[in-house]
Amino acid sequence: MFKRGATKKAQIMSLEDAVKTYIKDGMMVAFGGFTGFNRNPSSVAWQMVRQGNKNIHCIDRHGGICTWLLNSVGALSVYETDWMGWGEMAGKLDVNMERTYKAGKMVLEDYSHGAMAMRFLAGAIGAPFIPYYAPQGSDLYNPKYDALGKAGKRDGKNVKIPRKKFMEMADPFFNTGNVILLPAARCDVAVIHATQCGQKGTARWRGVGTIDKEICFAADKVIVVAEEIVAESELRKMPESNQIPYFVVDAIVENPWGAYPSAVPFYYDYDAPFMRGMDAASRNPEDMKKWLDEWVFSPKSWEEMMTKVGAKRLLDLKADSTTGYSTRILRGKKPAPRMTVPLSVARSGY
Amino acid sequence: MAKTMEQLMDLIDKIPDEPAKVGEFILPELMAIQIAHQVRDDDVVFAGTGLPMVGIMTANFINAPHALLIYEAGICDGKTMHVPMSVCDQRAANMCTSIGGLVDTFGFYLQQGFVSLGFLGGAAIDKYGGVNVTSIGDYYKPSHRFTGSGGNSDIGTMAKRVAYIILQEKRRFLERNEYTTTPGWWCWDFKTNEWKPKKEVWKGTPFAESGPEAVVTNMGNYKFDKNGEIYLESFHPGVTVEQIKENCGFNLNVKNVKGETKKPTYRELFVLREFVDAELIFLPQKVEYPASLKKLIEG
Repeated sequence: MFKRGATKKAQIMSLEDAVKTYIKDGMMVAFGGFTGFNRNPSSVAWQMVRQGNKNIHCIDRHGGICTWLLNSVGALSVYETDWMGWGEMAGKLDVNMERTYKAGKMVLEDYSHGAMAMRFLAGAIGAPFIPYYAPQGSDLYNPKYDALGKAGKRDGKNVKIPRKKFMEMADPFFNTGNVILLPAARCDVAVIHATQCGQKGTARWRGVGTIDKEICFAADKVIVVAEEIVAESELRKMPESNQIPYFVVDAIVENPWGAYPSAVPFYYDYDAPFMRGMDAASRNPEDMKKWLDEWVFSPKSWEEMMTKVGAKRLLDLKADSTTGYSTRILRGKKPAPRMTVPLSVARSGY
Repeated sequence: MAKTMEQLMDLIDKIPDEPAKVGEFILPELMAIQIAHQVRDDDVVFAGTGLPMVGIMTANFINAPHALLIYEAGICDGKTMHVPMSVCDQRAANMCTSIGGLVDTFGFYLQQGFVSLGFLGGAAIDKYGGVNVTSIGDYYKPSHRFTGSGGNSDIGTMAKRVAYIILQEKRRFLERNEYTTTPGWWCWDFKTNEWKPKKEVWKGTPFAESGPEAVVTNMGNYKFDKNGEIYLESFHPGVTVEQIKENCGFNLNVKNVKGETKKPTYRELFVLREFVDAELIFLPQKVEYPASLKKLIEG
């Protein structure tokens, strides 16, 4: 609908230039990854905070490092999501976001996880809406609860905000009761963190895909941050391992450890102790400010921030080549046991 | 010298499958094992982060080794070696049959009807198993705001059977939720503004008969009757029915109580402690085994 007949030519850029060029105040942005744990494009949100982006409408399957960072400086004005937590077992609810919301400084639109996935799928395949057996009888589909509507944002002025939150209708084809029609999710910019990206933009990752491919196809502009930029010819030897074709990508940023403190499977693990520290800092504004000064505003670059994290920590986080995660990082109170086979496999086979 | 994990695996069948005594286990252990008991060997399970994940992993290691576990972020049938901290954790993806994304898990597996058991958490629950994970007070000006649905409302309505784990307090066990994130056996029909059985609201859909089957709390286990109303099935060791009634915000049906909740067995505890959460991420501490068992394990 927005890009008929047009392909793109991706450019390799610095983190600063990519954010400056493609992310403007007031834009609708979607971030890739899963909660605060997996392939969050943290470095982009970190750079947005440093560059002072404001009034961002984030549309996402749920919170993570990026929303935590943006909210920490009050840069989110609308959050369309299904989960305003960020760190699951390292700090479930974003307590600072709860503060922002309760102070009336943010519009929060609730959907469910499956619903947001379906909305982005619709956005990605160019469909205006998608039917889903989204839970009838849930207050998510209570006509009284439409936060964007209440805020007067469904007037069509922003073409990416649907005129309705949802619509219920009877299945006209197979007579299977009522379904909910969900509007496509579309955004100005999608930002994902991949493992490898070719110089033209072909990108891949390992581990879960979440909805990274969907958000890239649902967005007008796409920024791919990668652990490394490699030759396209190398990626084309195993095309079934690539998820993003180059023609949807606008900017390529090479930024090793750019997803920290989330994990990049087969590269490095998530840093649970660091995330617990973030959670603790977010519990009061004073500590939050100190944390931001220390970790966001003081370092001159992402490289300098990672240097501050320290070589010992990074060695501990380095992923095992066979499992894709680290067995050296202390996540709980005891070190990880040395396993050679999963117990369920030992007890029952596959 | 400490035993290797393989040596510990060989020990499992030698550990007595007899109930442990009060004092030999802690409440989170009891709860994790209660979750495990809900899982059948032929189940396709879709579980949320936290204790549900620990519980189904325990089941996968003991009573349901063939159960297929789906983790929200795109993982199908992971064979986990180390407990995941998130449903996107690469640990959950270990040796899985295939990996994809949310469209796979919520579309191909869940809406397509493959999921037989959903295991979820909740902040509050109503008499008919409707769950609130969104807010307390006025929706737009809440006194408490929680994370919101996540996969709760999708899984909680489209899995064939659904089980919840909830902390039991008077303010969390309610006649009616202030906000229903995931409808239970009775819910609002917003078209007519009537409170109705879910079967009627969802009439004709493939999910009209799907819904809550069990609830595990820190005080007892619950089931639902034909009318979709929750009732107490068993009380945990050391808890009385009176205490449970005091910690419930409505008049709880206690007529069908079978007795005390089955205590975890030594074998179940051994698997939970040594294989599921050996890193002590979910469990607060490592509990000592009784002397004879300690000798068998360490000896």
